[in-house]
Amino acid sequence: MILRYLVAMVVITAVWAGVSWLLEVVRGRQILPTPWDTAIAAGETLSVLAAAFGTSALRFLIALAVAFVLGLPLGLAVGFEPKLDRYLSPLIYLLYPMPPVALLLFLYLAFGLGEVVRLVVVVMALFFQVVVAAQGAAKYVVPSHITAVRSAGATRWQIYRHVVLPATLPSVLTAARVSVGLGITMLYIAETKLGVLLGPGAGLGRFIEYYTFRGDISLAGVVGLALLGLLFYVVLELLERILCRWKFVGARGGT
Amino acid sequence: MIEVDGLTIVYGRAGAAVPAVAGLAIEVDTYELVAVVGPSGCGKTTLLFAIDGLLTPTAGRVRIHGEEVRGVRRDVALILQDAGLLPWKTVRANAELSLRIQGRKEPATKVLADLGLAGFEKRFPSELSEGMKRRVGIARALALQPRVMLMDEPTANLDSITREHIQNLILGLWWELGFTGILVTHDIEEAVFLGKRILVLSSRPARVVEVVDNPGMGEPGYRGTPEFVAQVAHLRQVLGGNGP
Repeated sequence: MILRYLVAMVVITAVWAGVSWLLEVVRGRQILPTPWDTAIAAGETLSVLAAAFGTSALRFLIALAVAFVLGLPLGLAVGFEPKLDRYLSPLIYLLYPMPPVALLLFLYLAFGLGEVVRLVVVVMALFFQVVVAAQGAAKYVVPSHITAVRSAGATRWQIYRHVVLPATLPSVLTAARVSVGLGITMLYIAETKLGVLLGPGAGLGRFIEYYTFRGDISLAGVVGLALLGLLFYVVLELLERILCRWKFVGARGGT
Repeated sequence: MIEVDGLTIVYGRAGAAVPAVAGLAIEVDTYELVAVVGPSGCGKTTLLFAIDGLLTPTAGRVRIHGEEVRGVRRDVALILQDAGLLPWKTVRANAELSLRIQGRKEPATKVLADLGLAGFEKRFPSELSEGMKRRVGIARALALQPRVMLMDEPTANLDSITREHIQNLILGLWWELGFTGILVTHDIEEAVFLGKRILVLSSRPARVVEVVDNPGMGEPGYRGTPEFVAQVAHLRQVLGGNGP
């Protein structure tokens, strides 16, 4: 897996260098900084860049965790309990497509201009992804699995613990992985829209915005965002491999 | 002893009501193994679920050891069609599932070993053959040390050799452990092999059309005897006359 990612990185760097060179030839001056210029720029600003990366990573981690803690139980309950499904699903589907960025003004007014509102924007985007994925998966839990635990006298909580949660976890984690891209975009917007200075607590979004007129440094920040997305993608995949080990074993036969 | 009296179960409401079972009465003695056969979709599983306390009767009642069934009982175990194993749990966790749900801490090690599953405890169901999956399903029920075993087509969709293995296993366990059992099946030979009495149900809504006494049942060798063949032929005739 690591090898494949390395190959992908080499390919992307090569394409990037090609595009950069092509643009320079066509337009007569440098448009897109080359990979090595960007690498040098990253080296120059390493401490600031690393701090921004760390801030963004922590922010994204917290947002992802909050989205899971809030979205997973709601999604599972709405998907599994027909009554909740009837009343809450229309509500969810109305709110789901609404981009939180469009509500930014109201979010500022509600949550102020501090750290909280940045998290809220990212949480809102990820929350609905988790809810919709969990709801969809919980609707199609195999009835005989529920009968198996009910006939042993399972309580509602035990049904969720032994059947609904483990049955839906793979699709929820996959959905989370898919929405990392969206989440990173939201994180960028949330970080860009707030503040003008590059002080402590500024993430990669702020970093990129701040160095708008230093293309090479700015681009180093964009590469940072890409790596941040990759990091979470890989972490979620590992999490799936650990928590849903049963999905990754094949038929080994027997008697 | 299991007593089912005037059992009626209606699915749905008012206009769309579908009766699955209508006024059904059966009695199963303690330590008796009774087979229930009937055309597919006739309400056999519904009957079993009602006895297990998973379904509340629309009318009539079910009593086990003289007590009316209201919800799931701890001395009754249900073996589901296709075993109903949870794919995310290992063989051991599946076998101990019912125990844990009831808050019991004991391991299922011995039951698994008795059923030839020792060494497979850490496998997941997707790594097992169909026959092994059924045995895990049986282990899950046996781990509870139930007085009553309800079996819903325990050998459906198995190849004929594996089917006979599982049938012999059930017969052996019945001899050894002495439970009261109801076995629902649509396999005529299985009913004759495993039913001390065989209840023939009508098509939906299920009623008992005939009770066939089957005194020869109880030995693995019964399968080859003329008596067995005659019983199978008789049962086929009864079911045929009833139209699937």
